[in-house]
Amino acid sequence: MGRHRVPVRRNRVAIEREKDTDLRTHSIGATIVQTVAGLFVVISGTYDMSVQTAEAIPAFARKYALNCTTCHTAPPQLNTFGERFLENGYQLPGTEDGGITGKKNLGDLSLDDFAHYTGVRLRGNVLRAHNFKQQNPPGAESGTVQNKSELGFPEVFSLFTAGTLSKDMGFFAEMESNLEEGATGIERAFITFNNVGGENIANIRIGKLDPSAVFSFSTLRQQLEFIGESTNSSTDAVQRAGLFPLATAAKFYGLRDRSGTVISPYAPSLYNAVAETGVEVRGRPFGDWFMYQVGVLNGSNEGFGDSNKGKDFYGAIRLDYARSANFSASLSGFAYLGNSNATVFDGTRNVDANWNRYGAAAHLRYKMLDLHGMYTLDRITHAPTAALSNFDTTASGVTVALDAYVTNRTLLSLRYDNMDAGGDLTQRTSQTFAGMQIKHYLRSNVALYARHDLNLRRAEEGNAAARNLRHAVFVGIDISY
Amino acid sequence: MHRRVLRYLAILIVTGFCATTAQALRPKDGRDTITEGHRIYDRACVWCHGTEGKGDGPSGWSIGRYAAPRPRDFTAESYKLRSTPSGELPTDQDLFRTITQGIPGFMPSYRSLNEQERWQVIAYLKSLNPAFEQEQPTPMVLPSPPLFPSGNGITNGRALYAKYECRTCHGDNGAGDGPESKAGHLRDAYNLPITATDLTDPSSFKNGATPHDLYRSIMTGLDGTPMPAYADQFAGQEEAAWDLVWYLQSLSGQPGR
Ligand code: HEC
Ligand code: HEC
Repeated sequence: MGRHRVPVRRNRVAIEREKDTDLRTHSIGATIVQTVAGLFVVISGTYDMSVQTAEAIPAFARKYALNCTTCHTAPPQLNTFGERFLENGYQLPGTEDGGITGKKNLGDLSLDDFAHYTGVRLRGNVLRAHNFKQQNPPGAESGTVQNKSELGFPEVFSLFTAGTLSKDMGFFAEMESNLEEGATGIERAFITFNNVGGENIANIRIGKLDPSAVFSFSTLRQQLEFIGESTNSSTDAVQRAGLFPLATAAKFYGLRDRSGTVISPYAPSLYNAVAETGVEVRGRPFGDWFMYQVGVLNGSNEGFGDSNKGKDFYGAIRLDYARSANFSASLSGFAYLGNSNATVFDGTRNVDANWNRYGAAAHLRYKMLDLHGMYTLDRITHAPTAALSNFDTTASGVTVALDAYVTNRTLLSLRYDNMDAGGDLTQRTSQTFAGMQIKHYLRSNVALYARHDLNLRRAEEGNAAARNLRHAVFVGIDISY
Repeated sequence: MHRRVLRYLAILIVTGFCATTAQALRPKDGRDTITEGHRIYDRACVWCHGTEGKGDGPSGWSIGRYAAPRPRDFTAESYKLRSTPSGELPTDQDLFRTITQGIPGFMPSYRSLNEQERWQVIAYLKSLNPAFEQEQPTPMVLPSPPLFPSGNGITNGRALYAKYECRTCHGDNGAGDGPESKAGHLRDAYNLPITATDLTDPSSFKNGATPHDLYRSIMTGLDGTPMPAYADQFAGQEEAAWDLVWYLQSLSGQPGR
């Protein structure tokens, strides 16, 4: 059931609370890495033998009595059938089963029925180890930039409920508790009206929604989980790079939201935001090959209500091909036009700017392979030139990811990320990372993973520490039920 | 006399009416029905069963990955869920049942297509395999369970389960963990690894879990899988076959006999 999210911090500069532990020296760290990794090998070995075919299945899977693989290549990544199910407002493609499957009068609902609408996901890195070129350079908060291993499971617990209220009317809500940040909240919540005006003519979403949900590259469906950045709480300087699809990121240093808070260059935003509040319409009026999508939002980082002068708009088209053996492909492009959706500091005060994004993405699936990638280009316009004298108004990002089942239970994922950062010229640091992950499914809903992220640029010393990170290792657990 | 005639007339009209509505739900086979069925197929089934019905839709591989099952190939392959003897095509009723109930774990139920749409899509599926025009699939006789089963049905059934070596695949306790299954020796018609059904979990049965369903599964087998048909072994021994059914039911805690 694939809704994945991102730590709650996404739209604010993250303030990492560092715990003072004694596990700080590298050698102890290495020992822990080995011990935990060893333990995982043992666990996965035993389980492989004892667990036969038991398939446990979250929300929709339960409702339809199906395995996860019916809709997902690898959760949360959808296969083509899963995509069309999502688009149809959580109804089987080609049908309007919202009024039929699992529908009961409220008084007849039992706890079992409730399970048809809810799912939970618990995940996190049991072990995290970042490795830096220079430890705790001057200016960095102590303990943040240090070669050390941390024990952290669980990091994120999500509860989601979704389904249909009646024919062509669906709902989705997700609560997330980020245990690392101690924050709990509604991550996304919207209702859908489907097949308005005829089959697939118009599907409407209203609420706190993720605009890229139906794009060829969906922010929330990546195999390599979001690893949050770390930012100095007083200076806003990025101390440690975030590890996640950089094409979705804000990419500007020193850009602020309308309340004046600095937006982290690592926050997924605009079209690729985890969620923004608004209304969207999309459909495939000419058949399966073509999709349109248009939406209007309060604007970036505008939650409930709107302090904006104007709304943000987006439009996207997507071309699909799904008529060859075991193969499907899609190509999409979007334009996101901001309207006073950000501010820039001009030396004395924050002045309005328009923050726009253009992007293109492709997605190919063939048997065991799932390849998807996106390029985005961001532009800041309409700000007074004085405010932009030390500010690069253009930024771009690329993410390419490949997921492949090397065996029936083992998923290999590779990812390339690049961000040509913009914004404040004195701070901005571009980034290039390669990530690799092996995920092993003990059962269809319980997976262990080990991951390595590597800085492809030469790591630098000093406090522009985003590029101080050389590589990082994560070992974690992902459970959905 | 007069009254009686009227009554007959009324019955005639009512049955006639029923017949015509049934007719309306089940459209006549023909080009139009097939065309309509094709349209439904392209929206609902194509994702798994593929543009040409070969079971190679864009999501078909993802369902079983390196293991069974693949979506059915409607152009050639044998069918699993039949009331007909092993090696034969399914009846229309069989197809209707499969589409309506779905296949637990692998294919959703299509109750959301109305009956007429389900018949239309069946007409299209059949048009993909010329054998459907040549053969006239006839169901095996499925007898009713004995009114007064023998007092030791389950014990007999257990003995038959051992005699016919169901355990080599399904395991001593029916949990699907027999030596052949566990060792990964079982393969389907695509040469993909397949596991024997966990007989203690009726909600996973593809062919249904009522006594009649189980009887049918045992007699017809699931073509294209290692699950054999036992019609020959049980020829003339209906009661024994029912005993095996009672035993299977007892494995899943269903009310036995
Ligand atoms: C999500 C994928 C999926 C979709 C969508 C789907 N099927 Fe299937 N179907 C399967 C799979 C997988 C099998 C094989 C299951 C097995 O062999 O255990 C199957 C098998 C079948 C069978 C053969 C059963 C037998 O006796 O062997 C029929 C008939 C069938 N599907 C019809 C349909 C029709 C009609 C539709 C559209 C209305 C449809 N399917 C949509 C996945 C799908
Ligand atoms: C050679 C191995 C083998 C033997 C022997 C065998 N089975 Fe099976 N059986 C299977 C496999 C494999 C399946 C699963 C087919 C599938 O999932 O498509 C199966 C499925 C079934 C099913 C479930 C059908 C469904 O609805 O899903 C029943 C019931 C069953 N077997 C009963 C028996 C009984 C009773 C015997 C002995 C008389 C027996 N089997 C012998 C391999 C075997």
